[in-house]
Amino acid sequence: MTAEAYRAGLEALGAGQPARAVPLLTEALGDPERGGYAALNLGMALQALGRLAAAVPPLQQAMAALPDHAEPPFRLGTIAGLRNDAAAAAALFRSSLARDPAHVPALAALAALAEEAGDTGEARALLARAQDCDPAEPELALALARLDLGQGEAAAAAGGAGAVLARRPAHAAAARLLAEALQAELGSEAALERVAAGAAADPFAAGWPLAAAWLLEAAGQPEAALAELRLAAQLAPGQADVLAALGHALAGLDRHVEAEAILRQAIAARPGDLDLRNRLATVLWKGNRLSAMLEVLEAAVADFGPHATLLLNQALALNAIGEQEAGLAAAEAAIPGGGIAALVNRIAVLPYHPVAGTALRLREAAEAIGAALRPVPPLVRGRRPQGGALRLGLLSGGLGQHPVGWLTLAGLEALPEAGFTLVAYSLKPRTDPLARRFQARCAQWHEVGALDDAAIAARIAADGIDILLELGGYGEGGRPFVLQHRPAPLQVKWVGAQFASLGLAACDGMLTDRWETPPGAEAFYTEQLLRLPDGYVCYLPPPYAPPVGPLPALAGAGVTFGCFNNLAKLTAPVLAAWAAILAALPEACLILRTHALGEAATRDRTARRLAAAGLPPDRVALEGGLPHRRLIEAYGGIDIALDPFPYTGGLTVCEALWMGVPVVAMAGDSFCARHALSHLSNLGLGDWVAGDHAGYVAQAIARARDIPALAALRQGLRARMAQSPLTDAPRFGRNLAGLLRQAWIAVPEA
Amino acid sequence: MSDTSQAAPEASLGARLHASARQLVRDHRPAEALPMLDRLARLPGLDAAAALLRAEALAALEQLPAAEAAADLALAADPAWSAALQLRARIRLARGQARGAIDDAAAAVMATPWDAGAKALLGTALLEDRCFDTAIWFLGEAMRADPANPGTQSRLGQAFMRAGRHEAAAEILAHCVAASGGAPALVALQAQNALLAGDAAGAEAMLRAALAAGATDAALHSVLAHALLTHGQMADAAPHFTAAARLAPRDGYLAHLAAAANGIGTDRATDSYVTALFDGYAPRFEHSLLALGYRVPGLFRRAIERALPEVAAGRARLGPVLDLGCGTGLVGVALADYLGGPLTGVDLSRGMLEQAAAKHLYAELLQLEIGAALDRAWPPQAVVTLADVLIYLGQLEPVIGGCRRALAADGLLVFSAESFTPADPAGQGWRLLPSGRYAHAPAYLRHCLAAAGFAILEWREEDLRLEADGPIGGVVVVARPVGH
Repeated sequence: MTAEAYRAGLEALGAGQPARAVPLLTEALGDPERGGYAALNLGMALQALGRLAAAVPPLQQAMAALPDHAEPPFRLGTIAGLRNDAAAAAALFRSSLARDPAHVPALAALAALAEEAGDTGEARALLARAQDCDPAEPELALALARLDLGQGEAAAAAGGAGAVLARRPAHAAAARLLAEALQAELGSEAALERVAAGAAADPFAAGWPLAAAWLLEAAGQPEAALAELRLAAQLAPGQADVLAALGHALAGLDRHVEAEAILRQAIAARPGDLDLRNRLATVLWKGNRLSAMLEVLEAAVADFGPHATLLLNQALALNAIGEQEAGLAAAEAAIPGGGIAALVNRIAVLPYHPVAGTALRLREAAEAIGAALRPVPPLVRGRRPQGGALRLGLLSGGLGQHPVGWLTLAGLEALPEAGFTLVAYSLKPRTDPLARRFQARCAQWHEVGALDDAAIAARIAADGIDILLELGGYGEGGRPFVLQHRPAPLQVKWVGAQFASLGLAACDGMLTDRWETPPGAEAFYTEQLLRLPDGYVCYLPPPYAPPVGPLPALAGAGVTFGCFNNLAKLTAPVLAAWAAILAALPEACLILRTHALGEAATRDRTARRLAAAGLPPDRVALEGGLPHRRLIEAYGGIDIALDPFPYTGGLTVCEALWMGVPVVAMAGDSFCARHALSHLSNLGLGDWVAGDHAGYVAQAIARARDIPALAALRQGLRARMAQSPLTDAPRFGRNLAGLLRQAWIAVPEA
Repeated sequence: MSDTSQAAPEASLGARLHASARQLVRDHRPAEALPMLDRLARLPGLDAAAALLRAEALAALEQLPAAEAAADLALAADPAWSAALQLRARIRLARGQARGAIDDAAAAVMATPWDAGAKALLGTALLEDRCFDTAIWFLGEAMRADPANPGTQSRLGQAFMRAGRHEAAAEILAHCVAASGGAPALVALQAQNALLAGDAAGAEAMLRAALAAGATDAALHSVLAHALLTHGQMADAAPHFTAAARLAPRDGYLAHLAAAANGIGTDRATDSYVTALFDGYAPRFEHSLLALGYRVPGLFRRAIERALPEVAAGRARLGPVLDLGCGTGLVGVALADYLGGPLTGVDLSRGMLEQAAAKHLYAELLQLEIGAALDRAWPPQAVVTLADVLIYLGQLEPVIGGCRRALAADGLLVFSAESFTPADPAGQGWRLLPSGRYAHAPAYLRHCLAAAGFAILEWREEDLRLEADGPIGGVVVVARPVGH
């Protein structure tokens, strides 16, 4: 029986069906004669499927059972290399060569390790040995060409890569090396011309568009690069390297649906590629598919080990799904060797943590980032003498329908044209109506998302910006390190992942108010606190918001609580508080609504968390996201909004209030723990904010029991808000203008 | 990858490339289809299909000359290919070649008479060529065949508007606005129609409602600013011109108005400003000027009579006359009975030139910018006139110098200018007024004339026209080359 299984397993493997081979070869492991070979082939099948962790035991079994066979140690060495363990990989490749001195892949792999270690002489010697064994192998010629390029021999490298391409016209690595070598030899433009000439002479070879794509991407033309890759994929259909390049290009341009499909094909064809797994994870992140993202990352960690890049993504995903403790643990684990990216990643998850997310811890985490940055010479020193309008730069990816837009636009529009010339440094192109309003207010508009920090800073400095408002922070797409280059004499943090201090010496001030940062809060900020007299933002209600409807509870079915915040904010103490509230109000129900809940697996995972926290499943509805207009309308079904903590709602609180829904909240000590307090206080509803968990629970229960008061409040809430400082743009504009001018005058002159 | 080892295309490649490229063009990703179309064109029998898709992609990328060349290739394979004809018509329209677009669209209508899209396109091309009645007929035909097509409906509304049939336009545009849920471009069109019909308050109300509802568009701000200007509310109009110019940064007309409204000087109005200004108002221009008490042509006649008594007495006639910025031809009318030589009119606006042509007084009418016109080699002119032209120019040296070259040694230069008294006599000799017009300091005018070799024969301060807030003062000047 086992012999039959072995034969069938080999046939399946030979037919390119490793998944079918796995159970058959597993069955054959017990075969007394063929057990060692069954283990080797099983390991190879699992490796082909990308299940690297599972492949290790059978390969180790084969290595012991087949002492003269070079393949088991070679395979194990490959896996060790993928796990970044160069020493183990080298030892295994040597072991392979000890068993078979003519094992060409082992010689090539050792040469690659020598090259990585900077020992080019050893690398050349190993490759020469390999070529003696197999003179026709193009991979060896390519490896030598790569060495040439590394040693500054661009023309020789181009010749070597070109020769490989002549034999294998769709060889992606050769095409890339050719492009790199031509660029080094001729410069970008001439290299593109050379590649275009090659394509004209041989139009159906995939190598030319692949080389063109690399050159175009390097020249900052990602759309043009994608066009070439699309062609390459048509000319060489199904080829793993081409799919991988196409998948990366699609993901880079946010073509999520297409990118996911192509990346999954590429991973199937190239399971040992860590970058592809990470790329797929980020595509799923952008599509709010958190459970699918976690699944990809967990498998990748199992296969490749705890790579820092995997841990960073895992931390974000765990936090975003509401598992803040696990998220922070992953973020902390990535810090050794993770560099500045890991420090930024940590501060991105820390404010959500129910215990560790304090103002003090956030300042420490922010300062760790500031301390890790290398110093950069300042582009400007001091301010110009007074006179004329102040030039105000806006640095953000959110200049449109985005929390930054809803919370800043009305105030910026209200700044007097004669006193403030606005210049936008947009990190993400947007065309929505709010973006158009920003464009109508800004005298100049620069799309700078494709530039690096230094180039953005140089542009800002060249434009003579007096005050730079940083509106992105450590959030997704933010570029706070532009400030490090000191492009403006006064640099101020405002909305846009404004959850704590930036911890950067180059950030001079932070726009705030007396609720966000009461006296004494200075200790938690490296910036000077620039307190506006009312709130720190001015909310622009969406023009399409429907009128406030009647209180749903008047229908007599009990109070409906709602929370439209993202899952990252739903900590264990929040769930415990909600469980207590629902336990005290047997007729009440709770509606959670956010994009991540649109994914069935995340919905199930969240339902399990809620049930474990004691929330009654039959009284909690989990709903996915909606387009903004319909999301706003959905407040028509909510009586009271329950705000999360410690990371409270910002825009969400404003939207609930505009729709007549009051918000029960709790204030902590960090900036993000006090958004709700600021907004509610500006409406005279500061007494809806509790100071502790028990107060929060008691507040929600008491408010829910007074239906007439709720109905009366709801009826007048929009008018109250429309008359409040929270939406009074002219008043906010005057205050902002005064504060900015005052802060600017305080900057020493150049 | 050398010539000797070319990769041969597999059999199914053509179908794959075509399907994939077509899908990308349909998905509004034309640039991503171009490399595939390059390869597709190299496959036997697929060059025409590739050329059509390529033309479509390049047109979407606004690479219009290349798009037209690709459409030419597609049509070379089949000159009666309706889809290719329609595509080339759209490309030609985008290039401002209305006549060529009419030819293509008409050929498409003949090739596929059942195609409502072809008729709508022909109507649109005719509209651009200012053949309003025919345009309305074809657009009406298209609408009868495809009544729900929003593009055809709005074009028809536009055609009624431009033909001056404002009630019909208002009805159809109101329907378009409602059906689109208040699309900003359509609201702007609806308001423009109201404005042209004389209902500035109604236009303003529509535009303010759209802006309050969160719509933001250059056209909304621009039409609102114009509506406010009709009430003389320059200060209120200025921020809307500014917003419009920022939202349409390539629009020279708006850039000029925004600069003017905000007191920022430029040395001349852009050609696109002047063209847009007068093309939009040509049929009403003469009427509105006369209603405003426009006196300049009459003042020119009197000035010439004083300078040339023999002509005034009927004993001599004027030699060749060059009327720069002739507009609807009012100077021609004023001088008609004195003409002995050919009268040539120059203007940027085709609409204006058509009105001038209808007067049958001009030997030649040229659609040209004045600087370009003066660069031509002219037979010596007896008179060169610039009636209300200098208000579109800040710096005058090049134009006055050009006039000197065009004139005969004993010729006359006659021009009008709005004037101002500069606070600083040594400062700039011209200034851009909030109205978008330029005024010139008398000293600067004298300097320009002297520098070009003119002697002033007559300098008269005059009210050039009446406006809502009173007469607009200026000068009418007659000058002759020095040494005569």
